Amino acid sequence: MVVKVHIHTTHRQFTNGSDVVAVEGNTVGECLNHLIKQFPGMEKALFAKKDKLLNTVEVYLNHASAYPNELLKPVKDGDQIHLVVMLTGG
Amino acid sequence: MLTPSERERYDRQIMIGEIGQEGQGKLKRSRVVIAGAGGLGSPIAIYLTAAGIGTIRIIDHDQVALSNLNRQVLHWEEDVGRKKVDSARTKLRNLNSTVDIQAMAETITEKNASELVDGCDAIIDAMDNLPTRYILNRCAVEKKIPFFHGAVNGFEGRVLTVIPGETACLRCMYRGLVPQEKFPVIGVVPAVIGSIQATEVIKYLAGIGKLLTNRLLIYDGLKVTFSEFRLSKNPDCDHCGSLSGKE
Repeated sequence: MVVKVHIHTTHRQFTNGSDVVAVEGNTVGECLNHLIKQFPGMEKALFAKKDKLLNTVEVYLNHASAYPNELLKPVKDGDQIHLVVMLTGG
Repeated sequence: MLTPSERERYDRQIMIGEIGQEGQGKLKRSRVVIAGAGGLGSPIAIYLTAAGIGTIRIIDHDQVALSNLNRQVLHWEEDVGRKKVDSARTKLRNLNSTVDIQAMAETITEKNASELVDGCDAIIDAMDNLPTRYILNRCAVEKKIPFFHGAVNGFEGRVLTVIPGETACLRCMYRGLVPQEKFPVIGVVPAVIGSIQATEVIKYLAGIGKLLTNRLLIYDGLKVTFSEFRLSKNPDCDHCGSLSGKE
């Protein structure tokens, strides 16, 4: 399964500036693991600990919220994952 | 009923078919709360005052600092050190003396939130921190008052409108505490986001258009793109889960 992951602006420092990265996997979690294999710096940007996303990270699958249990959501060929960072400023 | 002066003042927006005199009358009879008189609160307050909302209550406990002036356009150099709500009230009254501007220099807490928003038709979230946003979200849900959320960071911003009991609320995707940090921002971004929040409020009060409910709008000022993400009401949400959903 080839899935496109859209990288948030603040995370592109960890993907050599790439805003979209192609990954493989059958679930969102597997796709993120593949992303981290390609770009190890993304691990700290996304995860507080193993299988626990940071509270500030939001995951959208095909433009719909993947919350809750984001990492277990199945994906299919051509799907798109958006990694978004929660904003709190005003 | 609009006065001749009001018909003249709001002529250009009354010309909009969806608003008309009836919609303008609805705006005149409306009462809104703007929580925060900072980067977001400034454009929201300016445009809602200009549009002729009947009563605008602005809540902010803070004082104007020099470092606010890059984005908080309600406040000027002469206001540094002054209470933000007093500075805001002065400008807004000069802009439109027919609007009842209520300035409340209060810190919003779980204890006083309900009283602070009492009697209003809309709560507008222009805060700079998540804990207070959640206090307001819960209060809006409990009192069944529509909630208009906006937030910014850097060149990015987001908007979400919440109709309690019907649509996803701000808490529906809650995963845990988020550290509070000083955030970077340039004034044009809250200008965009605050203007969209004000647009949502005007549409809701006038009963027109399609609201940003169950749709999170994200603006990227660097690329000049707007992205939309679908949200769903969370039945297990600790704020709105007990309210029945229509969508």
